[in-house]
Amino acid sequence: MKLWMLIGALAVALPVLPADISRNKNRGRGSMWWGIAKAGEPNNFPPVSPAVTHMDPAIHATLRRKQRRLARENPGVLMAVARGANQAIVECQHQFRNRRWNCSTKNFLRGKNLFGKIVDKGCRETAFIYAITSAAVTHSIARACSEGSIQSCSCDYTHQSRAPSDVRDWEWGGCSDNIGYGFKFSREFVDTGERGRNLREKMNLHNNEAGRAHVSSEMRKECKCHGMSGSCTVKTCWMRLPNFRLVGDNLKDRFDGASRVMVSNSDRIRGNSNMITSNSASNSVHGHREGLGRKHRYNFQLKPYNPDHKSPGVKDLVYLEPSPAFCEKNPKLGILGTHGRQCNETSIGVDGCDLMCCGRGYKTQEVVVVERCACTFHWCCKVKCKLCRTKKTIHTCL
Amino acid sequence: MQGTIIENLSGKKLSVLVSLLVIGQIICFLIGGLIAPTPASSQNILGTQCEDIRVNGSEPGGGKWFYSRGKGACSSVNKGNFDLDDHYLAHQVVYAFQMPIPRNNRQLDYSRWQQNLIGVLQVDIMYHSQMEIVPETRITLDARLAYRNKGDPDYAWKPYAASIEERSLDCTIDLKTDDYIYNCSVVPLFELGSLFHDYYLLNVRLPADTDRNINQGLGHVTDLWLTVINQNGGFTKVWVSLKTIFFPIIVCVLAWYWRRVHMLSRSPALLEYMLLVLGSALTFLNMPLEYLTLAYDMPFMLLLGDIRQGVFYANLLSFWLIFAGEHLMIQDSEQRNSLKCYWRHLSAVGVGCLSLFVFDMCERGIQLRNPFYSIWVTDIGTKLALSFIILAGISAGVYLMFLTYMIWKVFTNISIKRATLPSMSAARRLHYEGVIYRFKFLMIATLLCATLTVVGFILGQMAEGQWKWDEDLELEVTSAFFTGVYGMWNNYILALLVLYAPSHKQWPIETSDSIGEEIEFSRLPTDPNEMLSLTAFAGKTAVE
Repeated sequence: MKLWMLIGALAVALPVLPADISRNKNRGRGSMWWGIAKAGEPNNFPPVSPAVTHMDPAIHATLRRKQRRLARENPGVLMAVARGANQAIVECQHQFRNRRWNCSTKNFLRGKNLFGKIVDKGCRETAFIYAITSAAVTHSIARACSEGSIQSCSCDYTHQSRAPSDVRDWEWGGCSDNIGYGFKFSREFVDTGERGRNLREKMNLHNNEAGRAHVSSEMRKECKCHGMSGSCTVKTCWMRLPNFRLVGDNLKDRFDGASRVMVSNSDRIRGNSNMITSNSASNSVHGHREGLGRKHRYNFQLKPYNPDHKSPGVKDLVYLEPSPAFCEKNPKLGILGTHGRQCNETSIGVDGCDLMCCGRGYKTQEVVVVERCACTFHWCCKVKCKLCRTKKTIHTCL
Repeated sequence: MQGTIIENLSGKKLSVLVSLLVIGQIICFLIGGLIAPTPASSQNILGTQCEDIRVNGSEPGGGKWFYSRGKGACSSVNKGNFDLDDHYLAHQVVYAFQMPIPRNNRQLDYSRWQQNLIGVLQVDIMYHSQMEIVPETRITLDARLAYRNKGDPDYAWKPYAASIEERSLDCTIDLKTDDYIYNCSVVPLFELGSLFHDYYLLNVRLPADTDRNINQGLGHVTDLWLTVINQNGGFTKVWVSLKTIFFPIIVCVLAWYWRRVHMLSRSPALLEYMLLVLGSALTFLNMPLEYLTLAYDMPFMLLLGDIRQGVFYANLLSFWLIFAGEHLMIQDSEQRNSLKCYWRHLSAVGVGCLSLFVFDMCERGIQLRNPFYSIWVTDIGTKLALSFIILAGISAGVYLMFLTYMIWKVFTNISIKRATLPSMSAARRLHYEGVIYRFKFLMIATLLCATLTVVGFILGQMAEGQWKWDEDLELEVTSAFFTGVYGMWNNYILALLVLYAPSHKQWPIETSDSIGEEIEFSRLPTDPNEMLSLTAFAGKTAVE
């Protein structure tokens, strides 16, 4: 139902499209795809089959030309990206549930950014959004590869001298590596439009890379011995995808310690550190395919704003300007304000009432809530809970 | 009188032979390192949660299969989270693993060159503060395996094996935070000794039963991951080609050797028999039976491979014992030259190998009937398996003690002999020198081979995968280790067969004055029967 309305609205909005884009030209160009998260639920996507050429217009509108091409060429990818975008939103909202800015998303509207106008500013929050979405796409694509729902996932042939072309290669040397494809695809898909020409684009690129780096660095190695009589003369190891909550937590830590950067005079080549980022992740596949210009895109070093700080590492988040105050509603920046948010009276942190309500004070109510409690989980799919009535004191910002 | 070839071989010829073998050895190593891929590769498959529509929970029949790709694919359960209402019952959720998963826009299929398939399961369990799971959780799996071949319709899965298995999950969590995933150990699920069909499908259910307490303490299972490991086709090809080359060579050399032994006037000595048996064991190992798997379904290949290796190593170990024993140079021997006097030493080898064999039969033998079987899952089984392995370990220790003791004895004897050598007659001196030379040569060769094997093994374990020397040259260390060791033992036995075969070179006739010698081994020579009892290759005593 919602979808139909969307499509209807879209048809009306279509003629305005070029103007819309040109106005947003320099701001978050590559980030419109986030809207895919709300463009119809993932269930509504057509089933995975190579024959799908038709694309939902609502989705179509959020994607850039290159992203459309990628989606067309890799059936099944759209669903994974949408799943990833949703995962990113859920994670972001979880990580920021206790902060003044709580990662609220707007209703999906054409031409508007999903996270609101906050992304127009190069602040910490924006940095986090870019990193978490890029990480989520990497994660989700890698997951979809192991599920077999993307047919075009590549093999890790970096260690083999032969060209990765034939079915015979699979017979010869096997084919694993899901995260490599996720990494590669995320670079292609998420980084479209960020050409690294100005500082803001560099910031986006850096944060996107940081998100991906957090996914690949949290992978865990598992091994199995299967030699003679099961001994360890032959051992096969593989990488296991991390839980996305872990990635979110790590990124949140980096958010707290994000470094402010400024324009650097010389774009130092940092090819080496770049290699480390993508380490296992098929960097060489990239190397062969990309031209020099493309490769150059990730070869920059951002300079810390405060010269005493050390320059940001690959996994650090970077931002350009201080965050706006999130206390009051600010339609210009798409900030909702903290009016009506719940706060914690006893906490001295950001979720404490003093900070959350920005000194405006808060009202205290006593309510009786009916809650689930003493839950037991039953395999499968069943939670048996008691319903408890508890009196709770709720504090709400004025 | 005849000695062995090695004593009569000129230094030049010997060096040519040795360098040929070394070159062969290097080639074997490089073939593994440069041409072959890693021995095995894996695919990590995430289980698709399929919805089983049967409502009454009746026993699922063998004909109903759930798969995620192709025509008639299952409808997947959208079980993002636990629901409050009883939406699904345990038997209605089927985890489907369709292997291999597609790559590069291609539906891959297993090749028979890939030989075997091993599946391990990983369970993702989410932490909830309201329900912590115990560190040792029992999980019951209803696992069914099916296969399909190219050209079959998408739905035509045929049952391969099915079993209800109980496994132990060893789960820990560092940070007890909601929505984190437990760190659970991998669970070995199945081992297929043959990869005969093109596609395989695994359906796993986690049945729940409150009365019998099945899967009740499982917590919130979010995902099942299956990692399937198969031998690489390229590795098999390289391996089989090596076998195809070594097999005829060893057979020919063995025939030549035996003809040589038969040409002697005496009956063959114990060591000569031992060499023959060792050569035969190697031939058994070399037989390229893998070719047959391309045409026939041979699920016993894993077991057979273990047995072949076991037989070979048992023979090699026994050979070393007997070789050392036969070079003791003590002439107290009525019953020398027979296996009987080595029964104590050989029983160490026998017990060790037998216990490993029984263990292997209990694991891989039973897996022939039920690929999901594992001896390690039950407590009794684990104890049994451990006791077999410990027994084998003890035998190995006893064996090593015996061997070092004997070698030490040989060396003390050698040094005693050395002291008396100048006072001996020429013939006797030649004889002892021959014995010492033969022994030392084998000692050096054996030590070299054993050290290389151990060093290679350790390097392979440390390097994990590849070693990079420069951009272009990448060495597949594990494969190089396997082909290198395989080639090395082949070369080793080849050299033994050639060098320790009886020689028919004539030695200059000397007048024997050995009768009057006053050393403690005065019983030594002159009559041919005594010669036999000396050592296997009672060499250049030249008492004609």
